[in-house]
Amino acid sequence: MALIQLDNVTKVFSSRKGDVEAVCGFSLSIRNGEVVTLVGASGCGKTTVLNMVAGFIAPTSGKVLLEGEPVLRVEPRCGMIFQSYALFPWLTVRENVEFGPKVKGISRKIRKKLSRNYIEMVGLTEFADSYPGELSGGMRQRVALCRALANKPDILLCDEPFAALDAMTRQVMQQELLNIVSRSGQTVFFITHSIDEALILSDRVVVMSARPGQVKAVYDIELSRPRKIDVQLTDEYLKIKRKIWDLVEEEVKASMISSG
Amino acid sequence: MKETELTFWRASVYGSLGLVCFLGLWELAIRFHLIDPFFLPPPSQIFTRAIRMTTGPDAVLLSDIKISASRVLAGFSLSVLAGVPFGLVMGVSSVVRATLNPIISIIRPLPALSWIPLSMLWLGIDEQQKYAIVFMGCFASILVYTTDATMRVDPVLRRAARNLGASDFQVLRYVILPGALPDLLSGLKVVLAIAWTCVISAEMVGANSGLGFRIWTAKEWSDTGQVLVGMISISVTVLILDIAFRGIERLLLPWQRKASGT
Repeated sequence: MALIQLDNVTKVFSSRKGDVEAVCGFSLSIRNGEVVTLVGASGCGKTTVLNMVAGFIAPTSGKVLLEGEPVLRVEPRCGMIFQSYALFPWLTVRENVEFGPKVKGISRKIRKKLSRNYIEMVGLTEFADSYPGELSGGMRQRVALCRALANKPDILLCDEPFAALDAMTRQVMQQELLNIVSRSGQTVFFITHSIDEALILSDRVVVMSARPGQVKAVYDIELSRPRKIDVQLTDEYLKIKRKIWDLVEEEVKASMISSG
Repeated sequence: MKETELTFWRASVYGSLGLVCFLGLWELAIRFHLIDPFFLPPPSQIFTRAIRMTTGPDAVLLSDIKISASRVLAGFSLSVLAGVPFGLVMGVSSVVRATLNPIISIIRPLPALSWIPLSMLWLGIDEQQKYAIVFMGCFASILVYTTDATMRVDPVLRRAARNLGASDFQVLRYVILPGALPDLLSGLKVVLAIAWTCVISAEMVGANSGLGFRIWTAKEWSDTGQVLVGMISISVTVLILDIAFRGIERLLLPWQRKASGT
């Protein structure tokens, strides 16, 4: 059985100006242990799909299933990493990481051990008692990653988490995420508008059409793992990148025409 | 023009200089008979008057300050205890907000002074009446400040907390309350000044003690020295309370001091 199943999902946002169909007839299933990336032009409804999986918003029609059960409310089993980090500025790094276990009522002792391990894993031990405001963007996103993982989610949802970072930090973060995923077998559903990012990370890349968002194409990425940055120079990589790029370009142009 | 920030010490030097000049001109204006000391006594005379009011046989100043300050603090604490929880709920629930907004809109513009007649009829002129005046002057403002502060908490933080498994109550306790605290505290600082206005006015209209009462009686005797001592005492007390409040703020918001920005 698929871990996540989106079944003919449609989302319409109503406003005073009229209804906007953000996502239309979107179907996708994600298996346990898979890393799936959703790429598409901005405004195509990628984030809407992710928000429906997390349970932040409900689909207008269609079904979102987690292990066969419909997602009806905000689902802690779907841990989210936000583009804006969304760290609690009044909590230290350690307290941020312990937030999930704390609200679940896990004892202080176990919490401490958990947070120590995760913080060590991303190399932030010496910043454990710092506040997020004292950290750089890359460090903040590492804390967000720790915080999501410490809550032991079934699936990690990533909403363009590295988009606000500079190019170098971004590559480092991608490698770190890859390491963590390959070590723990964490299932990941990742959203990005960077094809390179999608190709480095994913088992499967889903290309989304312009609004209303639908699945336009799905590619299995069979590049060998562990993937290093130099995989980007191989013929295999370039071939698939060109294919995806052509598709995305079409959609970007389509959306530019339709939105004037 | 380039505007540079002065260091603390340089700013203090300029500040003291300004103050000394101001007091000096005041003193000289009276010494040279430009102003009649009956209407405006010189600083030197106010100073000796203040000494007499704190040390002499009829030393009432300190006890007046204590009485007024405790009225302010009691009334202010009451309105915080009532206003903050209410404001939090209003900030979170649009239904509660819509229900209570008309009532608050009617109460809020009323100056605390306008409650004096009713409160005196209901409660006389004893302590409860002073607390009631402060309460009526502060409650609605605290409510509005709290509601606004609550609504300004970044919604993505609420989302993040719920995504981590927090219940509605936990979101309120662990996210909205600490998230609203910085704005809330700066609001409360403003309201604390309002509370002083309330107490002084209430004491001028009906009381047997307190700074407002002291100033008003002095006026009856045309004792401008005592009026000014009373007024300066208000300034100084409010300043001291403000410094104390800043201390509390720093204690409650350690993350704001250290953070360079979000």
